[in-house]
Amino acid sequence: MSDDKDASRFEQSAKRAFDESVAGLDGATRSRLTQARYRALEELKPAKRGWQWSLAPVGTLAAAALVAWFTIGQTPTVPGDLQGSVGDLELLLAEEDLEMLDEELDFYGWLEEQPEFASAVDGVG
Amino acid sequence: MTGLALSIARQEMGLDGEGALDSGAAIEAFLKDVEARAYRIAVMGVRDRDEAFDIVQDAMIRLVRRYAHRPSVEWPPLFYRILQNRIRDMQRRRTVRSRVLSFFGGMPSEDEFDPIVEAPAPSNENPLEHVAADDAMRALERALESLPTRQREAFTLRNFEGLDVAQTALAMNCTQGSVKTHYSRAVHRLREVLADHGEEYGNE
Repeated sequence: MSDDKDASRFEQSAKRAFDESVAGLDGATRSRLTQARYRALEELKPAKRGWQWSLAPVGTLAAAALVAWFTIGQTPTVPGDLQGSVGDLELLLAEEDLEMLDEELDFYGWLEEQPEFASAVDGVG
Repeated sequence: MTGLALSIARQEMGLDGEGALDSGAAIEAFLKDVEARAYRIAVMGVRDRDEAFDIVQDAMIRLVRRYAHRPSVEWPPLFYRILQNRIRDMQRRRTVRSRVLSFFGGMPSEDEFDPIVEAPAPSNENPLEHVAADDAMRALERALESLPTRQREAFTLRNFEGLDVAQTALAMNCTQGSVKTHYSRAVHRLREVLADHGEEYGNE
């Protein structure tokens, strides 16, 4: 029991020492941290967050080109090696790590359920 | 995902006007609350203020970019998980750099820590911060350095940051049982190491 009490007193003392050291941070450091926070919050702005959406017109054009290609009866030929290379290149150039996959899967799941997307896929296939 | 769920998700992600304000204000308040403590923890982890600052900034950016849409109750463990990963990355990178440099000769290995060489330059020294970092905290920092990484992380998150066992387990990516074990061992070891600082650390 006494040992528990001592351990608890130790934990409180350690917490107090840490809090005091945090409270003693200087103004310059706090200012840098504030700037860092604002920089992080920039990620919430549409221009930063929605870069994928800015590619939507390009995607639409590409889909239209594919549809046109199929309707005139030609099959695009991409050599297997080249397909693999492109995949590797994407992986190598990807900034985000695998944690992002979870969220992206959610996104693609949602996208697949959208009527416009489904009709576009049906149109292509 | 249903239309309603999608609408809620869009609001939480700040895609709708009012939702954007709420979400932005909430995550800003969270970051404002944790940033100084996170910085102090990072300084203890990497012993370099500029690197610590970079780590905190990176952790904040990653949290906002990836998890701003998550319920705010999840932010503390997620943020500290990112922070601890970044600290560990920096430590590993430094170890590798140190090994490579010592292999090519001339540079001291990481075991040969020279406090004078490692001390921040005078321009980086701040009197207020220096005063605040009193003997008790410095002793605690030294004691923490002697702990295995997982024990140090458990102590830092539970004691300094005040996360509960479940949040700490999420932040450390381990079970709650492991957190309890690491934390208990950390407290035991720290009390032993700091036995000489009786008054400051409540030792009899």
